[in-house]
Amino acid sequence: METTKAVSKEKEMKMLSVVSTLRAVLPIVGLVVVFILFNVLTAGRMIQNMKLVLSQVYVTLIAAMGVFFIMTMGGLDFSQGSIMGMASIVICAVSKTSIPLGIIMGILTGAAIGTINGFFHVKMKIKSFIVTICTMFLFRGLIKYLASDAPVGGSALLMNYDTTAFKLIITVIVLLIGFIAFNYTKFGIYLKAIGAGEMAAKFAGIRTGKMKFLIYVLSGAITGFAAFINVIKVGSATTNSGNQLETQILIALVLGGMPISGGAKVRFMNIVVGSLLYIVLSSGLTMMGLDTQTMQLIQGVVFLVFVAVFADRESLQVIK
Amino acid sequence: MSDVRLQIKNVSKTFGITKAVQDVSFDVMKGEVHALIGENGSGKSTLTNMLTGIYTIGGGTFILDGKEVRPKNQVEANNEGISIIVQELGTLSGLTVAENIFLGHEDMFVKAGVKNTNAMNRKATELLEQYGFGRIKAAAMIDDYNFEDRKLIEIVKATYFNPKVVVIDETTTALSQEGREVLYKHMNRIRSEGNTVIFISHDLPEVLAKSDSITVLRDGVYIDTVKSAEVTEDDLKKLMVGREVSGAYYRADYDEEVSDEVVLSVKGVTVPGQIKDVSFELHKGEILGFGGLSESGMHEVGKAIFGASFDRQGEVRLADGTEINDIPTAIKSSIAYTSKNRDTESVVMNQGIGDNICLPSLDSLLNGFKLLTKKKMREFSNKYAEEMSVKMVNVDQFVSDLSGGNKQKVVLARWIGRDADILVLDSPTRGIDIKVKQDIYQLMDRMRKSGKSIIMISEELMELIGMCDRIIIMKDGEISGELSRSRDMDENSLIAKMV
Repeated sequence: METTKAVSKEKEMKMLSVVSTLRAVLPIVGLVVVFILFNVLTAGRMIQNMKLVLSQVYVTLIAAMGVFFIMTMGGLDFSQGSIMGMASIVICAVSKTSIPLGIIMGILTGAAIGTINGFFHVKMKIKSFIVTICTMFLFRGLIKYLASDAPVGGSALLMNYDTTAFKLIITVIVLLIGFIAFNYTKFGIYLKAIGAGEMAAKFAGIRTGKMKFLIYVLSGAITGFAAFINVIKVGSATTNSGNQLETQILIALVLGGMPISGGAKVRFMNIVVGSLLYIVLSSGLTMMGLDTQTMQLIQGVVFLVFVAVFADRESLQVIK
Repeated sequence: MSDVRLQIKNVSKTFGITKAVQDVSFDVMKGEVHALIGENGSGKSTLTNMLTGIYTIGGGTFILDGKEVRPKNQVEANNEGISIIVQELGTLSGLTVAENIFLGHEDMFVKAGVKNTNAMNRKATELLEQYGFGRIKAAAMIDDYNFEDRKLIEIVKATYFNPKVVVIDETTTALSQEGREVLYKHMNRIRSEGNTVIFISHDLPEVLAKSDSITVLRDGVYIDTVKSAEVTEDDLKKLMVGREVSGAYYRADYDEEVSDEVVLSVKGVTVPGQIKDVSFELHKGEILGFGGLSESGMHEVGKAIFGASFDRQGEVRLADGTEINDIPTAIKSSIAYTSKNRDTESVVMNQGIGDNICLPSLDSLLNGFKLLTKKKMREFSNKYAEEMSVKMVNVDQFVSDLSGGNKQKVVLARWIGRDADILVLDSPTRGIDIKVKQDIYQLMDRMRKSGKSIIMISEELMELIGMCDRIIIMKDGEISGELSRSRDMDENSLIAKMV
């Protein structure tokens, strides 16, 4: 009894903060460990093909930012893959007329689907995961209708943009804007407040309904923009464009240490670390020669383990 | 020693870093109402929650009639003869009244694996009538009843099987005067049947009037057990706080003139099903009280002024002509609001103290580049958290870690930081201990003197009488009377207009 009393409160607080720092650095440590591990396992092939590995990360990084905002508010979005697919088709079709117009139309397509999500979630008060699963199926159906006879080809000029420098710069700019907005403006604090307690956020003067609606539109628009990066790589849109992007993003964010219920504990870093960790993991597994089925299985297990370990059970009930 | 019902022996409990209950031992007798008092966070609820199976026992033993009890959940506790009426809602939505009453004890009505719902409803109806709550229908959904009625149903649920020990955890703060009388009646009945009530309350006059003996806890440690007949309210305060409580509790002045200047006028405000045609004016430097039964609509008045009511008609207007129809406009117009439902409507629970304090003031914290910096937010929140003397490790600590009184201080710090001119305080001292109560009363007095206007909505008649320049009484959604500050005012003159 005496010895336990001797442990002062401050010391215990310090221990708690050590635990929380550990949580924060764990994804980074994981990234380094996984990276080294795959380099060893593939005899350095990963580092030699780094450009190829990274070429897949840009789309995930950009699209994950929109979902990050949604999840910070305690929502979910499963329609990202279909948004990506629809926007890819639109960009390809319009790019034959004008590439800048194609980019704009892609963003608008994403924003339009985001508007549908926002309308049904906020105005009709349906849980976000139900709404977005519905739009996921709805637009995947539409994509299949539009692209099943033949892939929608884009302008040949699209390929000109497919350089690492271009993609890297665009991604950095988008993330930088998001980073500043999230950490240094009201935007981020409001999002976290809504995730941590929506009713109280409303009573503190935040227009929560409007905010939620706009975030769904914004997230759609961001993914619509990411679709441009997607099409310059392949030059056309198929029925599979953007397939399973939503799962990739969700796994990436959770691997990055993001609490699945959002709120005050999210960090912008979750997007970057998570996306990189996901890409390293999936390309590593591909290089090891695993087939898609096995990879999906492994991803499922990793995802489940991370959610089980990191989920903040007290606030899980707030997922909207 | 045959009179001892329950022996509490060296009971302890820790939550992470907090020692909520430390080595507490005392005896509770048969046929008594045994009050348990102490400031917020003194461990009262933690102790009784261990006894009733809500928490696991950290250390030590509970001995009921000579036999150790260690319930794993409330149903097991019930089977041992221990039940509890909890502070907040203890009934489950989506079930009928009867299903709630017999929750965990459905086996009584099961024959060959099939539940006999009719028998259950019959039994529940019988009980409800026996308790004098005949108007509550056993087969109706619990959601059809309001907070107060659901508390009454809980009384039935917790006592119908004649438990040996009934814990009543700060239930009275949520009840109207009428509801309290019903509760007191049943406390007396339980005592006269030779059973025991453990009664937790912050209301010291109530504790003195209704209990036989009183145990005081402070910071999780046992202080003393006294006979109610032998102590005064001041003795109890001293035991709870550990020192003499000095200084005035309520306002001391009586003859100050309130300014004629109207800062807020409310005209013909109606919220369907809640309030009807409410009109009044608030003056500069005035504390205007709203009293009434919990369901009188007075809480809705606060929401209506803050623009938080759904489907409101009528007009809320400031002196400069601004109409208040939504929360952001209200905040921009320097109106502040603290809700009765502190945890859901006042503080963002899973967020840091700092962000909570800064939320409505973010615009004033922008730097030259129109950006917010952590440093500036930290300075701002530290300043106001310290001004309100919030007990915390630092401003990054989550509000959910704080006690009720400290949460309220965070809310007040937020609005002081916003420099609000009109404060709508709904139940500002609900479930808060004396020391913090005193702080809040003194803060209100200082604000009043500096020209701020306050609307205080409260179910505590004594604090309304003690603090307000005027008191408006509500009944059935309408204003039923108004009283001005005077020395002679007593609770009865208010109650007369309430019921």
